Amino acid sequence: MESEIIRAAALLGAGICMGFGAIGPGIGEGFTAGKACEGIARSPENAGLLTRTMLVGQAVSESTGIYSLVISLLLIFAV
Amino acid sequence: MKKKSKKALIIVLIIIIIEGILSVGLNHELQIGFDEGKFVIRNVESEKSIQDQITHEFQNYKIVKLFGKFTINWSVLRVILFVDLFLILFAALVRWKMHLIPGKLQIIAELIYTFFSNLVIETVGEKKKYFTPYIFTIFVFIWICNIIGMIPIPGNLEPTRNLNVPLGLGLMALVIVHYTAIKEKGMKLYLKEYAEPISFMLPINIVGEVAKGISLSFRLFGNILGGAIIILVVSNLTRFILIPVGLNLFFGLFIGTVQAFVFTMLVLSYTAVAIK
Repeated sequence: MESEIIRAAALLGAGICMGFGAIGPGIGEGFTAGKACEGIARSPENAGLLTRTMLVGQAVSESTGIYSLVISLLLIFAV
Repeated sequence: MKKKSKKALIIVLIIIIIEGILSVGLNHELQIGFDEGKFVIRNVESEKSIQDQITHEFQNYKIVKLFGKFTINWSVLRVILFVDLFLILFAALVRWKMHLIPGKLQIIAELIYTFFSNLVIETVGEKKKYFTPYIFTIFVFIWICNIIGMIPIPGNLEPTRNLNVPLGLGLMALVIVHYTAIKEKGMKLYLKEYAEPISFMLPINIVGEVAKGISLSFRLFGNILGGAIIILVVSNLTRFILIPVGLNLFFGLFIGTVQAFVFTMLVLSYTAVAIK
């Protein structure tokens, strides 16, 4: 009985962790892409450089989402 | 003839899609056949649940023991050795037939190398372009490692899916960054940088340096593993019909290329910050 409660709590925690952890990267990446779009519209000759910088910035802001993914995987498979 | 084959293709597609719809469900399987003299199509519960499948897919490694003490993860090492062999063969083939007028392979190699050479010169300057071979190699290695999982051979998993491989790459990058910083600036200046802006910040700076390497490797690992799990689960939902191709294109080719590029780009910018 007790182990079942622990398992249920771990699964619930994994879902909550992934859901809340996805908010930040979503906002951050969308904001970055929007700003890059504005930049490209203003100076189309710099499109390559802007896209490169955008991808790197998005990957950095994505890392918190990846951490929450790792944590939820741990909760699902290790607990 | 052509029309007929088109019609046959459409009929086969429709049958496949109907089969998929009939058997939809996470832990279910479609059974078509004869049971006690009657023809049956039915949806039965499969023996392996999705969780068992995921566990089997991601934790079933073949461990080999060396000298009784060292353990080696053979199923990951095998793929890494294959990637190495591929890269060495590619390099040898390009080097063999080097001409002033380049062939097909040489054009590919020169394109990638020129791109990274320009990137290095832009980021760390003309004088320090001896970085290009390392940056180029790390990109090509991670790239091939990420997209090799698309080849449908059993046991052909991405080596970057196992945490040990990205962690090793991240550690290597950290060591190279700090070694270069010491070599370029001298020991005294390098050590002084840790006490900036005040000596009170020393532990925070050290933790920040370690966190760089860890976040670098966890980013690569999480992206590839997450993509692999999503491919497995969605393929199970749609009974492996059509959808996995698109998923493999996105998670294998696009995410794999972007993550390999991001890894190299971040290593490069860490180096640029460290030697400035």
